[in-house]
Amino acid sequence: MSPEMIALLVESLGETLYMVGVSAAISTILGVPLGVILVTTSRGHILENMPVNRILGAIANATRSTPFIILMVAIIPVTRVLAGTSIGTNAAIVPLSIAAIPFVGRVVEASLREVDFGLIEAAQAMGASPFQIISRVLIPEAMPSMVLGLTLTVISLIGYSAMAGAIGGGGLGDLAIRFGYQRFRVDVMIATVVILIALVQLVQSAGDIVSHRLNKK
Amino acid sequence: MIRLEHLQKIYQGDTGSLEALRGVSAHISEGEIFGVIGKSGAGKSTLIRCINMLERPTAGSVIVDGEELTTMPERQLRDVRKKIGMIFQHFNLLSSRTVYGNVAFPLELAGKSAAEIAEAVDPLLELVGLADKKHQYPAQLSGGQKQRVGIARALANRPKVLLCDEATSALDPQTTHSILTLLKDINQRFGLTIVIITHEMQVIKEICDRVAVIENGLIIEEGSVVDLFVRPQTPTTREFIRTIINHDMPDIFSDIKFSPVPVSGSSLMLRLSFIGSSANEPVIAGLVRRFNVEVNILFGNIDHLKSTPFGTLLVELSGEDAAIQLALNYLNAKELGIEVIGYVARNDRVAG
Repeated sequence: MSPEMIALLVESLGETLYMVGVSAAISTILGVPLGVILVTTSRGHILENMPVNRILGAIANATRSTPFIILMVAIIPVTRVLAGTSIGTNAAIVPLSIAAIPFVGRVVEASLREVDFGLIEAAQAMGASPFQIISRVLIPEAMPSMVLGLTLTVISLIGYSAMAGAIGGGGLGDLAIRFGYQRFRVDVMIATVVILIALVQLVQSAGDIVSHRLNKK
Repeated sequence: MIRLEHLQKIYQGDTGSLEALRGVSAHISEGEIFGVIGKSGAGKSTLIRCINMLERPTAGSVIVDGEELTTMPERQLRDVRKKIGMIFQHFNLLSSRTVYGNVAFPLELAGKSAAEIAEAVDPLLELVGLADKKHQYPAQLSGGQKQRVGIARALANRPKVLLCDEATSALDPQTTHSILTLLKDINQRFGLTIVIITHEMQVIKEICDRVAVIENGLIIEEGSVVDLFVRPQTPTTREFIRTIINHDMPDIFSDIKFSPVPVSGSSLMLRLSFIGSSANEPVIAGLVRRFNVEVNILFGNIDHLKSTPFGTLLVELSGEDAAIQLALNYLNAKELGIEVIGYVARNDRVAG
């Protein structure tokens, strides 16, 4: 493989990491509160509010049931407003984040639900406010499980980011399509696949280690 | 310290409503250990959770340390709850925090500084005997140790009341005993009012001063533990007592017919119960010395209700019919619980 090709691979990897990193950060910042609201507003929970719960749940489901490639195209007008363009790495971050927010929300919801309600009651009995229960009981107790969920999100985002390449989003997926597929460069195709596999392995292992460290059970 | 007035709690479910409490009233004085015993589903859990408003009663009032809690807004209730400690059957410790972190937790919630917390936590760990486990996580502790952390945590805000929700039900008998001893010690040292709900009569027997028996959402019997043991009024109470004190006749008497009235040449079977100072009196020796009767002890049991000695004896008196009557009169004059089981022909007894 030529040095130019290797430079291109490195550049594409950088773009993938950038897209995945930024969208993972955005979706975590917005998805964790979504998950918290989905749990705490559910029936019998500390901030029970069924209308809010149903509406947010419906939005999350609608977003998650739309295939990513369709979502990406469908929200191009929104992308244009938010990123100023509909092509390129920055533009790809918009649909990636929008797809990942409800994903994170559901993953966080599932993790928080695993926390024994007895702990919440114990905190209530000690005079904890709902906010204290969320920040000092629910989130710390669910942290090991949430880290695994966020790992899963990052891995999904790596997959989605490759799809973003199909509409000119840049990154490894874009490279694989333009060189590996359209120019029959088998070596490029293999190289991108190997990099993606290594990347996913790395993310998963890191997630497992962090989760294990946090888990005191 | 705690007054419960006509508490009622109705759960509305999809399939209908369930009345968990049907007008429960109780007064718990300052510094006493009050037990509530009942079978599962009797409403005891609901009752204790109404005391700190983890469950809001449907009707009635809860007054703790002079404050009416049922009408109190949530925010104010949080401050009151800081003065009511609670421990749980399954401990409910935070798995992500160390022993120290768990005991510090209520102090953090109350907005105490790190220095104040450090000052308060160490003596508490000392009190419950876990100073050496300070940096361990709950998963590394045994059940009894976890409950000790629970107790230290419940005491962190120096509460006036401690609520124990089946606190020993998940523990083995030895551990239960050591936890109860700790609770008794805390009660005496700090004058803490303790409310214990349980389904184990052993718990009531070991540490409670007064007890209420709850069934179907109602208190069916209430009184001092001693009274309850000596004069149980309801079948449920008797059933609970039977779980720890054997009142049954030994098997060898199961097919013997007893006559309620004296039969010539028969012996008399009696069950004597002793309580408090009468347990220390040499009643049997006195009987033998004064009357020409033989006393045969068939079954005996001496126990303690908290610190009051309590015993039962199953005895057979034999001798001249007149002597037996005199002996019975003598016993009746003593402060004893006497139950005449019946007269049995001596031949039958031999055959038995």
